[in-house]
Amino acid sequence: MDILTNLVNWELYLEYGPLLLSGLATTAYICALATVIGIGVGLAVALLSASPVPPVRWLCRGYIEIMRGTPILILLFILYYGGPEIGLRLPAETVGVLGLGIYVGGYFAEIFRSGFQSIPVGQIEAARIMGLSSGQIITRIKIPQMLVLIVPPSINQVIILIKESALLSIITVAELTKNTTQMVNETYAVVEPYIAVALLYWILIEGVAHIGRKIEQRIKV
Amino acid sequence: MLEYLELISEHIDTLMYGASITVMIAVTAILLGMALGLALCFGLLSRHRWIRRPCLAYQSLWRGTPILVQLLIVFYALPVIGLDVPAIVAATAALTMNTSAFQAEIYRGGMLTLGHGQFEAARILGIGVWPARIRILIPQMFRLVLPSLVNETISILKNTSLVSIIAVTELMRVSQQIVATNYRALEIYTATAVIYILMNTVLSMAGRYAERRFAATS
Amino acid sequence: MTDSTAESRPDSAQPVVSIRGLHKRFGPVEVLRDIDLDVKPEEVVCVIGASGSGKSTLLRCVSFLEIYDEGRVYIDGELLGYRETEKGLVRAGDKEIDRVRGAVGMVFQHFNLWPNKTALGNTTLALRLVRGLSREEADKRGQRALEKVGLGDKLHSYPAYLSGGQQQRVAIARALAMEPEIMLFDEPTSALDPELVGEVLDAMKELASEGMTMMVVTHEMGFAAEMADRVIFMDQGEIVEQGPPRSIFVESNNSRLQGFLETWKQRNALFSDH
Repeated sequence: MDILTNLVNWELYLEYGPLLLSGLATTAYICALATVIGIGVGLAVALLSASPVPPVRWLCRGYIEIMRGTPILILLFILYYGGPEIGLRLPAETVGVLGLGIYVGGYFAEIFRSGFQSIPVGQIEAARIMGLSSGQIITRIKIPQMLVLIVPPSINQVIILIKESALLSIITVAELTKNTTQMVNETYAVVEPYIAVALLYWILIEGVAHIGRKIEQRIKV
Repeated sequence: MLEYLELISEHIDTLMYGASITVMIAVTAILLGMALGLALCFGLLSRHRWIRRPCLAYQSLWRGTPILVQLLIVFYALPVIGLDVPAIVAATAALTMNTSAFQAEIYRGGMLTLGHGQFEAARILGIGVWPARIRILIPQMFRLVLPSLVNETISILKNTSLVSIIAVTELMRVSQQIVATNYRALEIYTATAVIYILMNTVLSMAGRYAERRFAATS
Repeated sequence: MTDSTAESRPDSAQPVVSIRGLHKRFGPVEVLRDIDLDVKPEEVVCVIGASGSGKSTLLRCVSFLEIYDEGRVYIDGELLGYRETEKGLVRAGDKEIDRVRGAVGMVFQHFNLWPNKTALGNTTLALRLVRGLSREEADKRGQRALEKVGLGDKLHSYPAYLSGGQQQRVAIARALAMEPEIMLFDEPTSALDPELVGEVLDAMKELASEGMTMMVVTHEMGFAAEMADRVIFMDQGEIVEQGPPRSIFVESNNSRLQGFLETWKQRNALFSDH
């Protein structure tokens, strides 16, 4: 036990605990908002990419490819540092939420799009032959099946989002990583802050994973 | 538009230099990560708990925390244990360990898809465990997981942008330096984004070509 | 080559495979119960039974692809998979297992050919890696084995371009090339289309008539009736009846065996048996 008290300065946690926890709360809140935006954008793009109008389809494809090919950091920089040049002066947090949301929107779009396409044609045919109406086919067969296909990768994407949110610290958003860096700068300690931050992210991610497993069980029934 | 292109061509050399460093870091991390990832994959599949558990812990750590945090930890921790290395080495090390955890999962999925039968056939003929893995399982596994591997490579390339935080002069940092001189953030960062997209597009095309050529047999 | 156990030793011509008191559990389910079995040189033993009777598991324990919980398996008088120590049985190292198992060849239900190698490549890989043969030597032996199963013209074909029956024959050649003392067959024709079954059975019949010791798990009663020296009927992990084909297929009045043969006859009503 002595080793433990000598290796880690527990008093630092008393002093900086609130700062770290507030960072965690900010991270959670930002990620939740960005997830909502991302799902919204992703859904819209996925639906639009089935449009009969070619330019619409190309735009959707282009959007997905750009998000896939660009680091999120550059996106954030363009919004935060480049924005003012065209009169867009948004606070860092807003840029963070918007940037993350638009970025993961591309990934969600791809998840939803392949989910829509993946339902075996045979099941639809069987339903048609049994006399189910189009509406019934959509609600009873298509949507439940799509959920099974879409939920696991979506949960995974949320977890990726949480990890990417750490980058918001670079554009000065006071989320978990930024507050940890602050703790490091003020205390010159390295071990305590980083153990804490790894643990806190891990808890957040495990929490989401757990919720994800519960959702997966529900939709399988 | 013309003015924009003039601006970019003024700095194109520096940007290309940055891009080359980016590629160098990415390639190193991918290759080293591949070796480490393969070893980790077999560790995860081991029948000995004392091998599996540490591998799971390592994987959980490197997949479950933000890369930025990992970079900062490696960057600040190495001097503490006496390893004073240049930032680019610390950065590459962190990226390598990160990708090895993800690649191990990709390889593990591939191995499970391959199934046990071919390995059993090899073992029954007396072929040793590692020769069987290297000559029979791994070549096929790579063909199976090529798409996922290409995606991971794209991820690595994008993640190199983060090493700018610990002052490694790759594409991201180079563009930050340019912006510091002329304050044209929007133009420069957009151009940088385009360069990243181009690199990743080339990567995707190379990946699709490789898939066509190698994923065909079987 | 000395076997130092105090257990009862099999007698006279040393059996190729000797099983004593074999038990295997998968979780709470006992898949093999107290199996005692000897397979003599040049004997062809066919194991029949319903799915879940444990017959495949038995074969896989003989090749140590499944690890058994209790009992002992001897190959040519040597204990397979374990070493005797003062503290009892300890799992043997890979090299030791490979050495004892060198006398065993196995053919699988799903062939398990290596798709990235040609028929010749499949047949010669172990010859080069395990027996240390040169490429020319290995190719010669591999070619002989493939010719023996009738595939001399398919040496350089990849498995993807071969029919199921051809693939299984390559698998037989692959095992044969290592010159084993006993060949194990785990439902070798169950995964084949009916019209391809014959060519594989023919290859197996030829092996048997040349004196190869064989242990075959199969649903092909015709093959068992024709080629087996001994037929073993397994049910729920036990050997229920064993004997020459006649005693199993014609003379027995064991109720479980009758039940099993009845379902088989019904499903194969088109074919008259023995």
